[in-house]
Amino acid sequence: MPIDISHLNKDDLLLEVNDLKKHFPIRRGTIRRSTGLVKAVDGVNLFVKKGETLGLVGESGCGKTTAGRTIIRLLNPTGGEIRFNDPKLGWVNLENLDRKGLSAVRPHMQIIFQDPFSSLDPRMTVERIIAEPLVINNIARGAELHDRITEMMRTVGMRPEFRSRYPHAFSGGQRQRIGIARALALNPKLVICDEPVSALDVSIQAQVLNLLEDLQRDLDLTYIFVAHDLSVVEHISDRVAVMYVGRLVEVADTETLYYHPKHPYTEALMAAVPKPDPRRRDRPIKLPGEVASPANPPSGCYFHPRCRYAKDICSKETPELLEVEPLHYSACHFSTELKLRGVIG
Amino acid sequence: MTNQTSGSLVESTVSIFPDEDIILKVRDLHTYFFTDIGVARALNGVNFDIPRGKVMGMVGESGCGKSVTALSILRMVTKPGKIVKGEITFYKQDRQKKSLVDEINLTNLEAMGPEMRSLRGAEMSMIFQEPMTSLNPSYTIGDQIMEAIILHQKVDNVEAEKRAITILDGVGMANPKLVVKRYPHELSGGMRQRAMISLALSCTPSILFADEPTTALDVTTEAQILDLMRELQARINMTIIFITHNLGVVAQMCDYVTVMYLGRVVEQATIDDVFYDPKHPYTSSLLRSIPHVGSHMKERLQPIRGVVPDPYSKINGCPFHPRCDQMMPGICDVKVPGLTGVGKSHTVRCFLFSDAVEVTDAN
Repeated sequence: MPIDISHLNKDDLLLEVNDLKKHFPIRRGTIRRSTGLVKAVDGVNLFVKKGETLGLVGESGCGKTTAGRTIIRLLNPTGGEIRFNDPKLGWVNLENLDRKGLSAVRPHMQIIFQDPFSSLDPRMTVERIIAEPLVINNIARGAELHDRITEMMRTVGMRPEFRSRYPHAFSGGQRQRIGIARALALNPKLVICDEPVSALDVSIQAQVLNLLEDLQRDLDLTYIFVAHDLSVVEHISDRVAVMYVGRLVEVADTETLYYHPKHPYTEALMAAVPKPDPRRRDRPIKLPGEVASPANPPSGCYFHPRCRYAKDICSKETPELLEVEPLHYSACHFSTELKLRGVIG
Repeated sequence: MTNQTSGSLVESTVSIFPDEDIILKVRDLHTYFFTDIGVARALNGVNFDIPRGKVMGMVGESGCGKSVTALSILRMVTKPGKIVKGEITFYKQDRQKKSLVDEINLTNLEAMGPEMRSLRGAEMSMIFQEPMTSLNPSYTIGDQIMEAIILHQKVDNVEAEKRAITILDGVGMANPKLVVKRYPHELSGGMRQRAMISLALSCTPSILFADEPTTALDVTTEAQILDLMRELQARINMTIIFITHNLGVVAQMCDYVTVMYLGRVVEQATIDDVFYDPKHPYTSSLLRSIPHVGSHMKERLQPIRGVVPDPYSKINGCPFHPRCDQMMPGICDVKVPGLTGVGKSHTVRCFLFSDAVEVTDAN
C-alpha cells in the first residue's frame, strides 16, 4: 500500500516510489529452471524531497543497493511505480520507460559506486572517463569538452594536469573523486551514492564526505545515500530510511530516527553501533540469529523471529509502513505503544 | 626521565607497565619489504609492551604497519619481507601456576622452525579480517579446527572432534554438530567469523591477534562478535591485540591503545587518555576526522591533510610533520622525536612534549 503523501507539496519532491519490487529468479539445473525468487526489493514506498539527503541503511543483503539501482533503472523493476520530477519534462514515470525515454531523463540521475577500484575502467584516462557521459549525451565536444573536464576536475578537488593519467596512478580517495566527477559531469539532480566512502580509509572518508556536502550545496543536488555505517549516515543525512529484507521498516528525519526510533529493528541497530567513547560502554541489545533470507522470508513481520517485543500477531500479519507521527513512518504493529531506546540511553 | 640522550632512552621510557605484567615486549623492530621498485620500510623501529590479560588496540590509517607488526611478532612475514632488526620477547607463563616459565626472544627463532611452530597456534594465534579468504575452502570447519588441536595437543580424532564441537558451542555457533561437517562457503559471514575465532581459540592461546575481525561484518553481527570476544577474554584471561581503524570498536573493547603512523608507535596510552586527553597531533586529528554517532551535532568533519606517504619514500624529521598543523619548522622537519613518557601509562613521540630525539633511527 503506497504511503499517503497528499499533504506534501508535489513541487518540493524529486522522487516518489510506490510499492517498488525487484525479484531475482533462482535458477537451478541444466535448463536453468526458475525454482524460486529472491525478493531483494519487495514493496518499497518512499519519497525524496528536492535538495535533501535521504540515507538508506540496513544490513548486507537487505536490498538497499538493489533498491538504489532499480530507482534509476540500472535494473528493471519487477513491479511498482517510480516517479521522477525531471527538471525539463516534469513528472515522468520511469518504471516502463523505453531506451529512448530513459536517455532523456538519465542525465538527471547518476550514481557514485562503492569501490573506486573496480568502477573505473583501467584502460581509460581520467579525461576519457569524465568525458564519456558528455560525449554519449552529445553535450560537449572539442575545446568545450576540454574545458568542461577541467572544470569538473577542479570541482572535485583534483588538479587538471592529471587528466591524462590512468586510474591506477591515483589513491582510493582520488579515484573516488574521479567517480564523483564522472557522475556530476551531466549536472544531475538526483545522485545515488552507493556506499561511496566505505572502501576508504578513515581520514580520506572525511575528505570525501566534506566534498559531497560542498557539492550538494553548490550544485543543488539531491542524494540517496546508501550505506551501512550508521555514524556516516547520521552525519550526512537529513532523513533516514531503514531497510530490512527488501522492505522499509522505518523512515524519519535523522534526529528523530536516531534518538526516538519507533521500530524495534532500528532500536537494535542503534544499540549495536560501537560508540567512539570509552566512558559509554553500554551493552548492546542482543539481536539473536541472522538476517532472514529474502528467498524464504518468515511469515508476518519479517523481523519477528529476532524481535524481543514480538507477539502472536507479528508472525501472522505483515505490518504496513504507516505515518505514526508527522513524517515519521514505521512498519510495526506496536509502533505507537513501544518505548524504544535511541542511539543514546 | 624524558631528557636522556643515550641509546637507553627508548628502553627506559617506552614501558608504561610494571615488568611483571608484561607478556610481550617489542624493541626497535624493523621490518622491510625488498621489492623490485625499492625497499618498503613497513616498520621503522616499533617499541611497545603488551600487558598480560588486557586488550590492546592498535590503530592508524592503512599502511601504518598495524598488520605487519602482528605478522612480524608471529614470524609470519614472508618474502620479500624480512625482519631486519629488533627484538620481540615473549614471556611464557605457566597457566595453572601463573608463574613465568620462559622468556623467549622470537626474533632468534627460525620462522618455520619447531619452536616457533609450537608457539603459533598454541600460545599465539590470529583472527583475520576476511574469514572467507583465511579459511581453507576445501576442508570442513571441523577438519580445520581439529588440525590445530591434534597438532598441539596429544589427542586422537574422536576427542579432537569433541573438542571442536565444544569450542564452536562456546563461541555461540548454532548447531555446532552440523557445522563441523560444513564447508566455509556454506556459512554466513558472521558464522564464518565465529568459526575463525574457534580456530584461533582452539588451543586457548595466551595472546590473540585480532586483525580487523569485524570490519567485514554488519553492525548487529559485529556487536555479537565483540560481545563474544569480551566474554572469552574475561573467561580465559587472554591478551588480545586488537587491530582496527574503527575508533568506535576501540572505545568499546580496549584497555589500552597504541597509535601507529608510518611504521612507528606515535602514542600509547590508556583508552580513556587516548579519547579524552590525546597528546600526539596525529591521534587528535584522527579522532576529529570521524563522524561521532550520537553526538547530536552536524559539524563539519576535519580531515587530516594529505595522505599517508608511501613507505618507499624517506621523510626527514618526524614522519607526520608534512601533515601536522602544529609543525615547528627547524625542529620537526629535522629531527625524529623519541618516545617519551607524559604521565602515568602514557607515552608519546612528539617534540611538543619533549626534546628527546630518537637515537636508534632507521638508516
